[in-house]
Amino acid sequence: MALDASAMTASPGTAAKPPRTRPPGVWVQGWRRFRHNTTGMLGLSLVCLVVAVAVIGPFVVHYDPNDQSAMIKFGAKSAPSLQHLLGTDRMGYDVLSRIVYGAPTALAVGLGTMLVASVIGITVGGISGYAGGMVDELLMRFTEFFLVIPVFIIILAVVRLFGIVVVGTPLESIPYLNLMTIVFLLGLFGWPPIARLVRAELLRLKQMEFVEAARCIGTLRRDILLRHILPNALPSIVVVVALGIGGAILAEAMVSFLGFGDPKAISWGQLLYFNYEALKVAPWASVAPGAAIFITALGFNLLADGLADAFNPRLKQ
Amino acid sequence: MGIFRYIIRRLIFSVGLVFGVSLIIFFIINAIGNPIEILLAERPGITPEAIEAMSRYYGLDQPAPTRYAIWLWNILHLDFGTSIIYNQPVGGMLVAWGWETLKIQVPAILLALAIATFVAVTAATRQYSRVDFSVMTGALLGHSLPGFFVGIILILIFAYWLGWFPSYGAYSTRNMLWNSALADSIWHMVLPIAMLAFFNTATLTLLMRSNMVDVLRNDYIMAARASGLPERKVVYGHALRNAFIPVLTYLAILFGLMLGTAPVTETVFTWPGLGYLYITAIQQLDYPIIMAESMAITIMLVGATLLTDIAYVLIDPRIRLE
Amino acid sequence: MLSTPASSNSPLIGAAAPALLLRVSGLAVHFFTGDGVVRAVDGVDYQVRQKETLGLVGESGSGKTVSSLALLRLVPRPARVVSGRIAFEGEDLLAKSERQMQAVRGKRIAMIFQNPAYSLNPIYSIGDQLGQILRWHDKIGRKESLARVAELLRLVGITDPVSRLTQFPHELSGGMKQRVCIARALLCNPALVLADEPTTNLDVTIQAQILDLLDELKGRLGTSMLLVTHDMGVVARMANRVTVMYAGRICETGEVRTIFRDPQHPYTRALLESMPRIDQSYSGPVKPRLAAIAGRPPNLIAPPSGCRFHTRCPEAVPDCQRLLPEMAEISPGHAVSCLRRGSPGRETVGAVA
Repeated sequence: MALDASAMTASPGTAAKPPRTRPPGVWVQGWRRFRHNTTGMLGLSLVCLVVAVAVIGPFVVHYDPNDQSAMIKFGAKSAPSLQHLLGTDRMGYDVLSRIVYGAPTALAVGLGTMLVASVIGITVGGISGYAGGMVDELLMRFTEFFLVIPVFIIILAVVRLFGIVVVGTPLESIPYLNLMTIVFLLGLFGWPPIARLVRAELLRLKQMEFVEAARCIGTLRRDILLRHILPNALPSIVVVVALGIGGAILAEAMVSFLGFGDPKAISWGQLLYFNYEALKVAPWASVAPGAAIFITALGFNLLADGLADAFNPRLKQ
Repeated sequence: MGIFRYIIRRLIFSVGLVFGVSLIIFFIINAIGNPIEILLAERPGITPEAIEAMSRYYGLDQPAPTRYAIWLWNILHLDFGTSIIYNQPVGGMLVAWGWETLKIQVPAILLALAIATFVAVTAATRQYSRVDFSVMTGALLGHSLPGFFVGIILILIFAYWLGWFPSYGAYSTRNMLWNSALADSIWHMVLPIAMLAFFNTATLTLLMRSNMVDVLRNDYIMAARASGLPERKVVYGHALRNAFIPVLTYLAILFGLMLGTAPVTETVFTWPGLGYLYITAIQQLDYPIIMAESMAITIMLVGATLLTDIAYVLIDPRIRLE
Repeated sequence: MLSTPASSNSPLIGAAAPALLLRVSGLAVHFFTGDGVVRAVDGVDYQVRQKETLGLVGESGSGKTVSSLALLRLVPRPARVVSGRIAFEGEDLLAKSERQMQAVRGKRIAMIFQNPAYSLNPIYSIGDQLGQILRWHDKIGRKESLARVAELLRLVGITDPVSRLTQFPHELSGGMKQRVCIARALLCNPALVLADEPTTNLDVTIQAQILDLLDELKGRLGTSMLLVTHDMGVVARMANRVTVMYAGRICETGEVRTIFRDPQHPYTRALLESMPRIDQSYSGPVKPRLAAIAGRPPNLIAPPSGCRFHTRCPEAVPDCQRLLPEMAEISPGHAVSCLRRGSPGRETVGAVA
C-alpha cells in the first residue's frame, strides 16, 4: 500500500486535507453507463445523423425541393442515377432533395409535439402525484378518458374540418398552419403516458427518505419539488419523451400519408402520399421516405431504450 | 363475490367512459363550424332531402346541448342516421365494413400471439445465446418499423416482383382464385394480415421474452425442476403460464392500436374496411358516418379493455380476493 | 446402497455403522462468466449415511448451496460440474442422462428451498402443484393423487388439509408455506432430502416449529438429510455430523459433538467463537465485542494460493501460502484439512490448484 506523501510530512493536527471533490452526479454516471450501451449509442448516432441531415442537408443538396425541371430533362419517375441519386418522383421532384428537406420537418414535428405533450403531461402528472387524494383520483380518471379516445381518427376529422373552416379567414395566411394544427393535436392527445409516468415517479420519490429528511429540516414544499424530486424524475421523463418523439414523427407521417397533411410542408408522409399510386413504376419514391421514417423512429426508440438502461441499470447475471 | 362486484364496477365505469367520449366526439366535430354550412359550401350537389334528414337527425336548429341529447338518444336506439354518400343506413354499413376490418385484424393478432409465444420461449430459455440476441434485435427492429412501410415493402416484393398475392382489394372482380370465393378471399387477406401481424409479433415477442426471463429466475421454477418434472412441463406449464398473464392487458392495447390505425392499413391495401370508410367519409364530409364510426370504434376499444380486465381477474388467482 | 468397508470413514465395529447413502468425491463446480472462471466448488468430498443428517456449514459464497444443487444436476448456467463423482444408491449421478435424473429428482432425492414464499408457484393451487408431481412420478390418477397430498399435508401438521388443496400459496402464512414445501419434498418418500437454509427466512418462533417438524419426520420416515446452513445453532440441533466449507473447499468434517467440543480447523474455531453465547453478558459497563473473522471472503476467480483460508487465519505460517492442504483423519470419524494439524499439502504456488 503506497503511503500518502502528505501524511508522512505533515504532523498530526496539521495534516493536509485532500481536496473535496463531489462524486459524479446522476447525469454523469448515466452518461458513462450509456456509453457502453450498444443500442443506445446506435440510437444516438442515428438521431445525430438525422439532425445533421436536417441542419446541413439543405445547403448540400443539388436541387431545390420544388424543382420540377427533371420532368423536362429526365422525365418524372426515373430510377436512381448519377444525376438524381434517389431518382425522381411522380411529379418530377428530386427524391433525395425532398427527403433531406423532410428531415427538419420531422424533427420539428417530433419536438413540437413532445413540447406540448410534456407541458400538459408534467403539469397534470405533477399535480396528481404530489397532491394525491381526491385530486389524484379525478385526474387519473381524466387521463384514462384520453387513453380510450380513438385519437388518430379524431385528429383526422379535426384537421379536415379545421382546414375547411379556416378558408377565407385571416388564419389562412399563417404558414404551415395545417402542420402546426397536427402538431398541436398530437401533443394534445399525447400527454397521458407522460402524465402517468410523472405521477408514478412522484409517488415513488415522495416516499423516499431524502424527501422526508428535507421536509424535516423545513425545506419549502416548492423547493422539495424543484430541487429534490424533479431532478430525480427527469431521467425517466427523458426516456418517455424520446419514445414520444419517435411516435409523433410516425403519427404525423401517417396523417400525411392519408392525405390530411400540410401540402405546403415537405414531410416524408406527404412524399408517400404523393407517390404511393406510382408504387409499381417508381418504387424508390415511396421506399425512400418510408426508410427515412423508419430510421428516424428507430433512432429515437433505440435511444430511449439505451437511456432507460443507462439510468436504471438492470443487474446482469 | 368479489369478482362479480368488480365486473359490475368496471362495466359501469366503461359505460361512463363511452358516454364521456361521445360528448367529446360530438363537440369536437360539431364545434368546428356548422355542419350544414360546411356541407352546403363543400358539397354543392347535396340534395335538400339529405339536408332535411340531417336536420331532423341532429336537430340542427337547436342549441348544442339539445343537439347532443337528440343525437345520443338516436344512438341509444341504434339509429345511426343515413349516409350522405351512400344513402344507406349507417348502422348496416358499419356492420358490413366492420366485418371486413375484423377479418384481417383478429387473425393478425392471433397469429402474432402464436409466433411471439414460440419465439419468446425459445429465446428466453437460451438467454444470452446467439439465438436470444438475434431474436431481441429482430424484435426491436420490427417494433420500430412503421406499419405502412412494412405494407409497402410486402406489396413490392410479394405482389409486384413475385406476383404471389394481389396488391389491393378484398375480392377479385374477375377470375377468382381456384374459382372459389373462399380461397379468393383468403388469398387477398394474406398480405394485410402479414402487415398487421408484423408489428404485433415484434412487440409481443419483446414483452413475452422479458416476462419469461424474469419468471424463469424464480425459485419455484427451480423447485419444479427439483421435483423431477421434465423441462418441457416446467417451461410451458409453470413458466409460460406465469409469464403470459401480463400479456393479456397488452393485447387490448394492441387491438386498440390496430383499430386506431386501420385507416392507414386499409389505404395501403385499398381494403374495404372501417378505416377506408372513415377516410372517404371525412373527405366527403359524411357527418353521419364520421360520428357513428367514431362511436363504434370507441365502443370496441372500451369493450376490448373491459374484456381483458375481466379476463385478467379471472385468470390470476392472486387477485381473487379483492 | 453402498455399504462401507470398515477401513474407510466409520471405524465403529461393535455398533454396525449405518450404510453410506451418498458419497461425493472430488466434486468441482465452476461458473464460466465473462469476468473469469469462478471456482465455486473446487474439490469437495463428503458423505451422508442412511438415516443420518449431515450439516453442511459455511459463509455465503462458500459453495454449499451450489454443491447441493450439483447433486440434482441442477447447477444454473453459466455453472458446470467440472469433475467429481456422486455415488448415490450404487450409481454415479454425474453419469446419468437427463431423463434418468428426472426419475431421481423428487423421487429419490428431494429438495427444500430457502424462501418458501418464492418456491411455490403462485398461480397453481396447492393440490394441483403437489398433485402433478405425484402424478408424474407414480402415474396415478387425479383423485388418488389429491388424497395422497392431503395425507401428506396432515403429516406435516397442517390443519384441515382437504380445504388447503384448493387454496393458493398467497393464502397461506410463511410457516404453512414451508410445511407445504416439506410435504412436497416427502411426496415420494425420498431417501435423501436436501434442505437449503430451510428456516432462515422464517420468524424465529416458526423456525423452532419447523425444525421440530423436520426432526420428527426424518426420524419417523427414516430419511437422510443434507442440511445446508450458515447457522451453527441449527446444526447443533438437527445434525448428526457436520462438514465445514470455506471458499469451495472442505475444512473439517466430523460428528457434531466432536466438532463443537474440539474444533480443529482454525476456521471452524473462528465460526464457533463468533457465535453469541448464552452464558455471556453483552450489556454492562464493559461490553465485550462479538468476535468476527478478520478479512473478507476470497475472490473465487483468483482464490488465494495454498490454503484458501491463510489470508485470514490467525495461525497461518509461510507454508500455508504454498501448500493446499488435503483432508486427513485425525481421529476416527474426524477429518481436517489444515497443515497446522498434520494434513498433507500439495504445491500450488505458480499453478492454480
